[in-house]
Amino acid sequence: MRQKCRLIIIAMGLACFTPTLYGQEVIDESELNNKEIATNAIDAIKGRVAGMQVETTGNALSAVRLRGTTSLSGGNDPLVIVDGVMGDIRMLESILPTDIKSFNILKDASETAQYGSRGAAGVIVVNTQQGSEGETRLTYNTSLSMSPIYKRLKMLDADTYRLAIQQFNMGILDKGYNTDFQKMIDRTGFTQNHHLALTGGNESSNYRVAVGYFDGTTVIKGRDENSLFSNINVTHKMWDEFMRIDLGMFGSINKNKGIKDEQKLFYSAAAFNPTFPNHPNADGGWDGYGAASQIDNPNVLLNEKNDTKVGNLALHARLTLQLLKELDFTLFGGYTYNNTENGISTAGDASRSQLRREFTMGNATLRFNKSWNNHTLKATGLFELNHELLQGFNVAVAEMSTGLVGYDNLSAGSIRPWDGTASMKETSKMVSFMGKAEYDYADRYKMGFTLRADGSSKFGSNNRWGYFPSVSASWNLHNEQFMKSVDWLNELTLSCGYGLAGNQGAIDSYTAMRLLRPNGIAATGIKPIATFQELTNANPDLKWEVTRTVNLGINTKMLNGRLVFTTSIYNTKTTDMLYPYTVSVPPFKYPTMMANLGSMRNTGIEFSIGGTLIATKDISLNVSANLTFQKNKLVSLGGNYKGEELYAPTEIAIAGVNGAGLHGDNQITFQVIGQPLGVFMLPHSEGLEFWEDGITTYYLTDGMRKVRGQAIPKALMGSNISFRYKDFDVDIQVNGAFGHKIYNGTSLQYVNIGSLPFYNVLAKAAEKNIYDLTITDYWLESGDYVNIDYITLGWRIPLKENKIVKSMRMTLTMNNVATFTHYSGLTPMINSSDINSTVGVDDKRTYPLYHTYTLGVSVNF
Amino acid sequence: MATKKTLLTICAAGILCCGCSDYLEENPEGMLTEEQAFCNLTQLKNNALLSIYNYIGGNASSQGLQGTDRGVYDLNSLTTDEQIIPIRSGDWEDGYLWYRLFQHTWGSDEEPFINTWNYLFKVIVMTNEGIERMENYKKGHAEESMKVNSYIAELRALRALFYFYAMDLWGRVPLITSTGIKTSDMTLSDRRTTFLFIVNELQEALPYLEPIQSPMPSSEYYGRITYPVAVFLLAKLALNAEVYYDNDWTDNKRPDGKDIYFTVNGEKKNAWQATESYCKQLDRFHTTTLLYSANFSVHNETSVENIFTIPMDPTIYSNQYVYFFRSRHFSQGNVLGGKSENGTCGTVTAIKAFGYGTDHVDYRFYDCFYADTVYQNGQIVYDEDGVTPLVYHPLAITQYDLSGLAYEKTAGARIKKYAPDPTARMDSKLINNDIVLFRYSDALLMRAEALVRMGNGELAYPSFSEVRNRGTYSFDTIPSVITLDMIYKERLLELMWEGWRRNDMIRFGTYNTAYDLKDYAEHEADGHTIVFPIPTALLQMHPNWKQNPGY
Repeated sequence: MRQKCRLIIIAMGLACFTPTLYGQEVIDESELNNKEIATNAIDAIKGRVAGMQVETTGNALSAVRLRGTTSLSGGNDPLVIVDGVMGDIRMLESILPTDIKSFNILKDASETAQYGSRGAAGVIVVNTQQGSEGETRLTYNTSLSMSPIYKRLKMLDADTYRLAIQQFNMGILDKGYNTDFQKMIDRTGFTQNHHLALTGGNESSNYRVAVGYFDGTTVIKGRDENSLFSNINVTHKMWDEFMRIDLGMFGSINKNKGIKDEQKLFYSAAAFNPTFPNHPNADGGWDGYGAASQIDNPNVLLNEKNDTKVGNLALHARLTLQLLKELDFTLFGGYTYNNTENGISTAGDASRSQLRREFTMGNATLRFNKSWNNHTLKATGLFELNHELLQGFNVAVAEMSTGLVGYDNLSAGSIRPWDGTASMKETSKMVSFMGKAEYDYADRYKMGFTLRADGSSKFGSNNRWGYFPSVSASWNLHNEQFMKSVDWLNELTLSCGYGLAGNQGAIDSYTAMRLLRPNGIAATGIKPIATFQELTNANPDLKWEVTRTVNLGINTKMLNGRLVFTTSIYNTKTTDMLYPYTVSVPPFKYPTMMANLGSMRNTGIEFSIGGTLIATKDISLNVSANLTFQKNKLVSLGGNYKGEELYAPTEIAIAGVNGAGLHGDNQITFQVIGQPLGVFMLPHSEGLEFWEDGITTYYLTDGMRKVRGQAIPKALMGSNISFRYKDFDVDIQVNGAFGHKIYNGTSLQYVNIGSLPFYNVLAKAAEKNIYDLTITDYWLESGDYVNIDYITLGWRIPLKENKIVKSMRMTLTMNNVATFTHYSGLTPMINSSDINSTVGVDDKRTYPLYHTYTLGVSVNF
Repeated sequence: MATKKTLLTICAAGILCCGCSDYLEENPEGMLTEEQAFCNLTQLKNNALLSIYNYIGGNASSQGLQGTDRGVYDLNSLTTDEQIIPIRSGDWEDGYLWYRLFQHTWGSDEEPFINTWNYLFKVIVMTNEGIERMENYKKGHAEESMKVNSYIAELRALRALFYFYAMDLWGRVPLITSTGIKTSDMTLSDRRTTFLFIVNELQEALPYLEPIQSPMPSSEYYGRITYPVAVFLLAKLALNAEVYYDNDWTDNKRPDGKDIYFTVNGEKKNAWQATESYCKQLDRFHTTTLLYSANFSVHNETSVENIFTIPMDPTIYSNQYVYFFRSRHFSQGNVLGGKSENGTCGTVTAIKAFGYGTDHVDYRFYDCFYADTVYQNGQIVYDEDGVTPLVYHPLAITQYDLSGLAYEKTAGARIKKYAPDPTARMDSKLINNDIVLFRYSDALLMRAEALVRMGNGELAYPSFSEVRNRGTYSFDTIPSVITLDMIYKERLLELMWEGWRRNDMIRFGTYNTAYDLKDYAEHEADGHTIVFPIPTALLQMHPNWKQNPGY
């Protein structure tokens, strides 16, 4: 059943935010970014939701954060529910934005508590397009795009490389050529995209069937992608609308030829000796340069394969019985099947792997809704069962006798190492009960209460059940007598809420059990024997990680709905934080143990404003913007746990720089207790120091590593402007992030003259003459940016009344239009939200920059 | 629609399901529960005993007794006058870790310290678990207690082996012999207590251990702790008794080996007598090979001299030997079909001890090192321009930081020792040559040393000469009275690259003096550096533990 939400469609249905009482943000189909041409569902709402950060690495979606990071160990991506089927953020990859009806973003705990143990990171509820009554209609969308590269790193070319080596009096290995390996690996990317949807129905039944196809080449040679999508929804009402049946299916097949190691490819393309030829040697192989041991001939890397094929299928059925006028009963069943196959081939090795996930869920819901006089009461009861099955295997072989067959024929490898072959099976189950009640008096006072109980098989038998309550209240001042005289105001609602939500994403099945797994072939005896051993410290007392959120909000609507303003403040505290805490060896066997301790706090304030500045028959102008200020603090990590003192070091390195000469003490970003997650701990450099012999180094004024800034933005903004004149329209999306820093590891490495002659350097390095690879805050730069994400020009082609084409629209879009920043590297849009080994560090893994131009046509028949 | 029906059935079944707690029970497949893993004698042997042999070698930093970096081997070798990793212009600076190790100026929070500690005690905890599982099994299977008892003895000897390394590195360690102890209840035992515990454990295990040569490939005891392995370790303990018996090593006083007594086969013997007696017992099982290099050949499992090895096989085991990779110049690595890091080499002290650059170069020099022009399979190895021959300069390590010097990339003689394996994989980290941990010629030198220390330099001659003039080699006439100086030098030559140098230098009192490029030793004159500091992380977790003296 779709979430009932109050939509306010401002003139032309463009750009507005319609927050409802419970901290939901609803984004309707008409507000999606580039709906017709976007191929990733999350791109369609990027920048549209206050407090949401979308991270893409290279070409792929890597993380989504709603109101920051609440867990240290995982489960930070929001729960995704598509047409009632639960999944993770990957599930959005199997739906095209064109097939989406609406997004509901749930952030407040009073809303997420109803999803219990999986709601802590927020919830994205997606409803796909349904059929509609009326004659059968056909819609066809197509787009073609082109992505030319406009910026690469400016390295020395072969001639200036030779000069530089002469200048610094070094020995050179000169093969006599002049190759730009950066240009060699890239190209202009092209994509095509087709989508066909058929809808129809009558009073009792309707359907919608859609198929989509996407095919594209990326800006890196040999890296292609294509996908097939399908989405089917059928609804039937019978017995005087006593019963309603919804059946649906969505699925996708995605084939992706990826890069095995992005950092190595881009590092090699930039730094490989430019005097090497760009053709194979006499033996048909590519010359390597052993002294440059950290990189390879880029051709070798380009020939490596990392191909992934993902198949997703989701089926669901819902049966709704209208038992009484006030009471309905719903049975829902959903099944998802994901199959990921991967094949990797390098010059000498090849591997195949498969991971299959089957998720089955079923629930029964009883809903009550009654209004009398000024009272409205809604109540819901739910019982749910989940079952998840994961199965996988992988095989790796070594010493391939030819590079031609790769992973397509593993028999070409003569060696199958023990640790190259494995298979696994894991199941996890959940039982849940949920009750929810809402009471509304005279459309003025609202109260809500939710309680969810989740039982999970992942936890110890004494900790299986978790309880997640929430309460909320709101007061619509505008409906009070004393506000009646304020006629410019259409709505003024104050709301508050408090609730608990859980996270179990950090742990796998059986973590709480003492189990033995194969640990190798014991190097003894005549006959090789694979033996078993416990491979982690089991903790039978593991339980949920809990977040407690308090939020306050104000919603206003003015000037007949032409101006909408929303603000909300939240304070989330994570407790019982799951983390691999450090324990003493002995008595423990391994130095860490997963346990529930420690806490973290996320606070923030979000503003959304949307206005229709002009609304006439021929001209309309809508502007909307959202602004988020967010703050995170790792409060504590450790303490006494069941009589054992557990702790975590005050500072733990998260991300660092890698490359020639950067093998020790190369950490950049840290997790520090008492600080926000992901802070830069660096020695301080006041600038450059010029020595008599002409050499320049970093002037180190404070050798101590201290906190010098944070990697995660303190403020985020998103803004959309749409303007229409008659049949023409323009849509512009601008996003920004502020208050964070980026460590420019790329420059640190590429300006160091010491890299010569084995590694190439930046063109500007020769004049700077820096002979230093010391990590200091010299290369710590402000990461602030404002990015024009896209500009779309649309034209609704005026058609004469005809029997064939009902309407037609053309769009021309430019993506990644411009970035305004002081950051000196290629782009400030690097990982600044996902706390992992790349957070805040620009380290030789950035793609060359490109614009994308897309021509789209949409026809309704 | 079938799907719909199935789903509806699931829903209906769900509603009817009352046994939620049964539903939430897990039956893991693909893993073993404790009951399954030790259900019969074979499983017990595999998973409680043999399983631990996966950790003698290793394939990650700080894991394994030898073959990997930043672990037991590096702490015993790169802190001595035997090996060095000089800084080569950007390469090998690594946050000055190697420099601090070489200069003995380490802090107590060095990563290799805590990681090596965690590795050794991981295995100790595994042996404790194993012993408890054996004892439990015995309760229900009295008829199999003979076999189980021999497994228990082997586990106790394994535990003693790992306690030996832990005690040798840190002096004071927590002595635990069972599971289920709370962190807060653990204390550090003094060195003598741990030493006596190790000796006692090994002595009690001896009668149950298999009295055959351990690395023999055709036996099921290949690579396992057998009688000779335990005896060798007892000899090593007795020889170092003066060191290990000493609870206060910063007072520059040591007990005398003559006054430290052992009971060997029912007889009371002092440390030197005990050493000699244990070494003598090895004659029953082992002898020296005619060729020094035979012990390090690709298929050295046939060596009768090797007592305890880490079995290696690039296609079966994951144990690695990373020292070729770490030492060889890039161009040499290329010729052998892999990468290399151009790091470790012999110190000038070690090179000179071999007589390099003189008329009398020890015959083992070219078995142990690549020096001068590098040949591989009879061919000159060229630098990457294809013209310049690759030449190592053994004596060119004139300062720790070679950056900017003419030979910054090629200074130093590199590790050879183990014959290049043509079937090696992963940049020569996976090889067939078994890594030698204990060797009979070491026992011969221990025996000679014990005799010299007892004042019997003449009696030491046969053992000493068997090592020095093995087989047909006889370059030098050996004085008929062996001295400690001769033994100290001979151990450097014979055991080069084998991970014993720190142990020898401590026993000979030279570890905390100035030598080679470590010209500063005032800070360690009290001898506190002969053990490493208890890792900071552990002191934080154990407020009642005290740091080792001097740190």
